[in-house]
Parts: sequence; C-alpha cells; structure tokens
Amino acid sequence: MAVPILKHQDYLIASIQSLLTDTDLWHLCDDLAAQVGQVRARGVIVDVTVLDVLDSFATRVLCAIAQAMKLRGAHTVIVGIQPEVAFAMVQLGLSLEGVATALDLEEGLAYLDRRTKGTRNHGG
Amino acid sequence: MIDPAERATGTSNMREMEITEQEIAHRKRFLEFEEEDIGRLVEVNKIAEGYAEPVIEAFYAHLLAFEDTRGFFRDPEVLAHVKDMRREYFLRLTQGNYDTAYVEDRLRIGEVHERIGLPVKAYLGMYNFYLRAVATRLLTAYNKEPERTFPTFLSLMKLVFLDIGLAIDTYIFQREHTIRIQQEAIREIPTPVLQVRERLLIVPIIGVLDSSRARRLTDQLLHAIRDNRARVVVLDITGVPAVDSRVASHLLQTIDASRLMGATVIVTGLSAEVAQTLVTIGVDLTKLNTVGDLQGGIEEADRLLGYKVVKVEGAWGRHDQPEGR
Repeated sequence: MAVPILKHQDYLIASIQSLLTDTDLWHLCDDLAAQVGQVRARGVIVDVTVLDVLDSFATRVLCAIAQAMKLRGAHTVIVGIQPEVAFAMVQLGLSLEGVATALDLEEGLAYLDRRTKGTRNHGG
Repeated sequence: MIDPAERATGTSNMREMEITEQEIAHRKRFLEFEEEDIGRLVEVNKIAEGYAEPVIEAFYAHLLAFEDTRGFFRDPEVLAHVKDMRREYFLRLTQGNYDTAYVEDRLRIGEVHERIGLPVKAYLGMYNFYLRAVATRLLTAYNKEPERTFPTFLSLMKLVFLDIGLAIDTYIFQREHTIRIQQEAIREIPTPVLQVRERLLIVPIIGVLDSSRARRLTDQLLHAIRDNRARVVVLDITGVPAVDSRVASHLLQTIDASRLMGATVIVTGLSAEVAQTLVTIGVDLTKLNTVGDLQGGIEEADRLLGYKVVKVEGAWGRHDQPEGR
C-alpha cells in the first residue's frame, strides 16, 4: 500500500496509514526523493502515529530517508512515535541517531519552521 | 493439641527466621545443654512449683519499682493476666521436653515482647532478676544436699540462655523485617512527573534506580510527554544515592526514548562524587545533556523553549504588605 504524500506550504507530509511492508518503505523513500525536487520542498515530515511497531529495518529506512532528503536540501522530521514504540525501540538499541523527531504533526511543523525560517533570516 | 492456625503462624515465623530442628539442636550443643541437664531441671520441677508464686510476686514488685518497666503494667487486669502468663513461662523451664514446640512458644513470646516495645535491656534485666531469685531459693530448698544446687543452677542457666538467644533473635528478626519493608517502600516510591510550565516537565528521582523502576519511570515519562505535549524534560537525580554504569545506562535509555518522542532531556543534580565515579568507570555520557542543579536545568529548559523569566518590580509587596493597609 502506497503512502500518500501531501504538500503543505514548503513541506511534504508523508502520513503512514497502515503497517507497511519493506517494499512499501523503500517506495516511500523513492517517492519522497523524487517529489522533494519537483515541489522544491524545504522540509519533510514522516508521520508514524499509527504504527505500533518500528523494527530495525523500518528504522534504517527512516534514517536513509533523512539522509537522502538532506542531500536533496530538505530537513526531515519523524513525528508521532508512540510511548510504547519508543520504549521498545530503545530496548532494541534503535535510537534513530541523527534524525530529528517531534511529538506530532503540529510539533513537526513548528520544528521545520524553526529550521527553515532560521536559514532564511540568518542566511545560513 | 495447639490451634492449627496459631501453629501455622508459629511455624512460618520459625521458618522465616531459619530456625530448623537442626538449628535448635546446634544451639543446644553449643550451650552444652544435654540429657542430664534436662534430668536436673525436671527433678527441680516440684520445688519450682513451690517457689513460683513468691518469685513472681517479687519479680513484679521489682518491675513496678522502675519507671520504664512500670509503664507496661498500668492496668491491673493486664498485670494479672501477664502474671499468669509469666508464671506459665517460668514453670515451663522445668517441665522437660525442650523440643520444637518449646522453641516455637518462646519465639511467640519474644514476638509479643517486641510488639509491645519492651526494650531488650528490660528483658535481660528481668531474666537476670529471675535467675538470682531462683538461685537463692534453690540454695534454701537444697540445704540438705548443697552440692546439687550448683549443677542444677548451671542447667537452668543454659536453658535460660537458649531462651534469651531466641528472644533476641526475634527482636532482630522483627527489626530486620521492618527495615526490609521500609527498603521496599523506598524502592517503590512513585516518581512524580510534574509540569512546570507548558511544554516543560520535571521529574525528581528519589531513591535507588534499579531496572524495574527505571522501566516504569521511562514508561510513565513517555506517556506524560505525550499527554502534556512536553518538549523539554528536566530529570533531577539529586535524590539518587548511587549512580553506577547500570543506572547511567538506564538514564541513557530514558533519554533516547524521550528523544524519539521529540523531547529533549536535561539531567541535573549530578553530585561531585557521582561525576567522579562516572568518569573513573568510563561511562560514555556524551549523549547526556547535564546542567549542575535543578535551577540551572529549568533555566536551560526555558532558553530552549524560548521563555524568559522577568522579575516584576515591586511585585513582592502585594504579599508582604503590613496588616491594615
């Protein structure tokens, strides 16, 4: 099942609706990489609120997305990791090193605003 | 036959105190309490029944002469009851059959003493008074054959020391039991997660942070982050007595999990000793965001959240104005 990618101002929002297969995850990565260039997005939000598990593969893909987006000039933030999921992840030693996280969509947008507006105002 | 329920509590206490039949036998061996001692004690039983009454009277006269022991026997009814019990207790010393049931009975009485708060010194003083009273009476009773007095008295003393050992063990056991319960309580102290301002939580951790508690704390904190929409958490560990590598790794897990939910964790209250220990044992704390004390932590959190605390001039006067204005 494909993940819908919405555009909101300068940002792309990928809202995961159901449990994804590994292939779906890679598709998401490809789709985002393509679209971020088309719409000249400055930020990407991946919403994982509905997921009740994030395994090592999913974590790796999320890291890959963040790195790919960075190379395409956009900030990435993962939002909506649930308490139980976060707890299980640290137990497995998965900590999404180097990837920004936020509580929910609203916080994610606020984070991207801080990051991108900061670049605009201060020129770097 | 003893009441089954009563027997059950008696034996269970014995088991908890690890007083088995072997243990009783061992104690007797150590005191050199042997068959002939039992023989001598049983022989003296008739005499003991004779002097039981006057000794008890003298015994309580002595107890009532002292302020600290008098307090236990203010009620005359209680006093009468206790006298009966005490007579039984002393008579039991010369009735032979010093088996498991005897030890159980002694332990139960020791427990009663502990419960009413009779100090050990009073217990020992009382037993000492009793031994002296009995010694005099034995001398009188055996005036025809004085050479029997001393061995009988020695046998009695061995048994009395067995009693004393059991009684003191009960005291120690009860105290240890209390300490254990309290330690448990300290370990179980719930950790409050408090919102100081919007988006800012503080978590003061008090007591030992073991794995199960760390797990509960993390779980609680993560839910609080979601429910309060917190962005910064100040974790104050001033009240954690010892921080070793295990505690540090628990903290790091909590911090990682919080970060996954988009919250930054600031750890405060690491004492000088704790800092030294962590450096010495080589715990990797590069991911730990630390600030000296709670105040500093909240200031740092305010900075991260974009708050600025401003003092309002003259504001204190509203509360501290003199009366009648």
